Amino acid sequence: MKTITVTVNGTDYEESVPERMLLVDFLREKLALTGTHVGCTYEGVCGACTVHLDGEAVKSCLMLAVQADGHAVTTVEGLAGADGLTPLQRAFSNHHGLQCGFCTPGILMNMSDFLARHPDPSDEEIREGLVGNLCRCTGYVHIVRAVREAAREMREGASGVSA
Amino acid sequence: MSSVENSADWLGARLARKEDLRLVTGQGRYLADIVLPGMLHAVFVRSEYAHARITGIDTSEARAMAGVVAVYTGEEMKAHVKSMPQPVVTPNLPARYPTFWPLAVDKVKFHGEPVALVIARDKYVAVDAAECVYVDYEELPVVLDPEQALGEGSPLVHEEDGSNEIFAMTLTGGETPEEQAANAAAVEEIFQRADVVVSQRFRCHRTGITPMEPRGVLCDWNDSDGLTAWITTQRPHIDRLALSDLLDIPAEQVRVVAPRDQGGGFGVKAPFYRENLAIAHAARTLKRPVRWVESRYESLMNVGQERDQINDLEIAASKEGKLLALRNRGVADNGVGTTGVYWGFVMPFLGAVELPNAYTWERGDVQLRVATTNKAPLTPSRAFGHFPTRFALERGIDMIAHRLGMEPAELRRRNLVPTLPYTSVTGEYYDSGDFVKVWDNLMERVDLPAFRAEQAQARAEGRYLGIGFGCGVELSGVASELLVPMENQPGYGAASVRLDPRGKVLVFGGDAPGGQGHETTTAQVVAALFGIRPSDVVVTTGDTGTTPFGSGSIGARAGSYFVSAVAKACAELKDKITRILAHDLQLEASVQHFEFVNGEIVYLGDDSKRKPFTEVVERIIMFPINLPEGEVGGLEHTAFFEAAKPMICFNADCCIVEVDADSGNFSIRRWVTSEDVGTLINPNIVDGQMHGAIVQGLSNAMFEEFVYDEQGQQMSADFEHYKLATAADVPDIEVTYAPTPCPHTPLGTRGIGEGRPSSVPGALTNAVCDALSPFGIEITELPLRPGTLWKLLREARG
Repeated sequence: MKTITVTVNGTDYEESVPERMLLVDFLREKLALTGTHVGCTYEGVCGACTVHLDGEAVKSCLMLAVQADGHAVTTVEGLAGADGLTPLQRAFSNHHGLQCGFCTPGILMNMSDFLARHPDPSDEEIREGLVGNLCRCTGYVHIVRAVREAAREMREGASGVSA
Repeated sequence: MSSVENSADWLGARLARKEDLRLVTGQGRYLADIVLPGMLHAVFVRSEYAHARITGIDTSEARAMAGVVAVYTGEEMKAHVKSMPQPVVTPNLPARYPTFWPLAVDKVKFHGEPVALVIARDKYVAVDAAECVYVDYEELPVVLDPEQALGEGSPLVHEEDGSNEIFAMTLTGGETPEEQAANAAAVEEIFQRADVVVSQRFRCHRTGITPMEPRGVLCDWNDSDGLTAWITTQRPHIDRLALSDLLDIPAEQVRVVAPRDQGGGFGVKAPFYRENLAIAHAARTLKRPVRWVESRYESLMNVGQERDQINDLEIAASKEGKLLALRNRGVADNGVGTTGVYWGFVMPFLGAVELPNAYTWERGDVQLRVATTNKAPLTPSRAFGHFPTRFALERGIDMIAHRLGMEPAELRRRNLVPTLPYTSVTGEYYDSGDFVKVWDNLMERVDLPAFRAEQAQARAEGRYLGIGFGCGVELSGVASELLVPMENQPGYGAASVRLDPRGKVLVFGGDAPGGQGHETTTAQVVAALFGIRPSDVVVTTGDTGTTPFGSGSIGARAGSYFVSAVAKACAELKDKITRILAHDLQLEASVQHFEFVNGEIVYLGDDSKRKPFTEVVERIIMFPINLPEGEVGGLEHTAFFEAAKPMICFNADCCIVEVDADSGNFSIRRWVTSEDVGTLINPNIVDGQMHGAIVQGLSNAMFEEFVYDEQGQQMSADFEHYKLATAADVPDIEVTYAPTPCPHTPLGTRGIGEGRPSSVPGALTNAVCDALSPFGIEITELPLRPGTLWKLLREARG
């Protein structure tokens, strides 16, 4: 066992964890943040477990909890602020970018990082950005649309243009 | 998002879903998120061999580990759980149903079969302990090829059956051998006189629809209430009956809850699984909650494997392009067949029934043999059984067109069933719709002459463009007349609609969705009928303790049967509401004299006579005095809906590709659809169903393949080796509609989405063959990969 200090969604936690515990299990089981999902055999292919580590999208099944010691983690539960859903979350609902919702938290975490780096992406760039996330329900069509529309809204918000 | 004020407009509105808020904020509650106090964790020990006798199991080391609570073997569990088959999960079709228990007894029959069960206080400890269960095996010869399995001298998968032929059927020509022989002779006569005949073997590989959330079950037991089981399932009510029968627990002491949020089903969560029995037995024995969450590795080894068929198809046609007769000899690779409800062969059975598709045939001769092999059992996957038969037929039709030098699109249109209803040569009833209208809508979107000009231009530049078509008649719900024989279950839809004293509406349904948006579509229907808002409607599904019986979220039952039951229940309640309202307003009036609109009930004869919906509802529930004679207070109704005959929906696809004739690489440039989905409830949701189904079809056809080596070892049990399509692999999709309201449902709706992937492999491969027509290439096997094309191109060039 090892004691780690992690900031998750803005709250500091000091927890004792087995060295072999995966970060995704730490989030789900120790902190009861079950929005982060497991869809593959901890092989990093499905992307449902994607979270932010110090602001960068990472797959939490490919990390041990002890590796997050001293770092800041954001999960899907931490995306929406006091002022409500983010433009990306809203766009996923408005454009029907989710069906069963199992892959959605990972996609939101990946795409919020992606949009910070690529504020005006083409559809092709969005599709390339999504290759680390598998979705079985949507065929990706509405996901691409939701990301595109969120990007537009965020750009217009940033430049003061009303949507 | 629409802002809808007129209540009638809720039907057809592109509303954002009620489900979304919780799902985009991480507040969904899937099975693996449910935790009970004192909950134990289960891990299965699974067979390392495809076929082997179990000569010993040493569980002592595992049992001795700190934190391990119990270890079960097949022999131990056999004494406490009945064997399959049991009637509740067995079709009324003649077949050799294998006997099996939750854990393997005596021998293992496929790589990945559950052999032992470890229960521990901690998930990590359970995994460790499972590795310390030592099973001794004596390997047996394996059979992995279905035709070999049906031949003389093959190893037997289920020895007691004396044969690997689990199921065989002749689907045309009547019931008696004499009638069937007469039909076969008549079909042969047509083939003899036909101007053109295509005779071709088509193979479809083992693939299916793997949901992103694997399976799981959490069982809780106490001696007074009995068993409560949370299961990732499409059919909680069937699971409840099966658990009751197989564990010998009175049915009233079994409650099954499908979590409200399920990470997809697509058929994979429709069977009754042996793992559920094992976990329920452990919880009952230990009197502790026990949870099993399937790993992806286990999932890919055990479920989501379908399609695996060979179809020897023959088509006879006249030189004018009239399709005359079809003859098919199908052989399906069933795997071991050890799943309740389906037993593997129910899918190829329906696939054979659905072979004739939307075309008119004078006669057909369709036979099917299904062989047991040492592979995982086939489990249902969206486009249930007919992905391979549609591939064969749609390819076969293009091959006829190529022989005749005819435009394949024109050949299709000429042979579409012109008017409905119609009964196919395999006996499938098509109730309503307009196939030609759907087809013509597609052709309008596509502009075939313009494409042919572009194609010719491209060819002149050494580029190979191609266009391909496919279409699909799909079940809209599964009628009792099909579901009782096929799965021993009723087909009707059932819904309870309960009004609460505050004027809100609660709807209860026994089917358990997995992402299709049933909360939203149901709420839109209720809102339209009561003139209220969808936000005033709460939909509960999947808890057998609170919902009426339903056979499950299968076969496009929601838009057809469930929503229709909801509409019937609402109609009953509106009758009662208006009877009492008329009495209160001292009017001689009944329901047709009132309009439910914008939260009010308005008397059409004098619109100053109106009452808020909430006020009338509260009056009837809370203040049941001064009622008309014979009326009682309260507003709740359960309705059942079943159409007199089976119902269908219909769609057509067009695919445009570009192929690199040197490397065999190809890309999809355009995908256009035309759909008859009846009355649309929420076009966003229907669009999403079509997008998902088409990409599933593409992913199945191009990427996914379950691979077994020559010893029956599964080689594709992770997502590195079992490749699903990513966003970068697939095109945008243009969905268009040419609907005909269904005359047999109260709202004109059709159930949609289930069969939708079936027309995809035909349209895709037809497009590639069209692109490569200068080389005369005819694709006859799936998956379609650049390497395969490269070989075909090399052969064509000599």
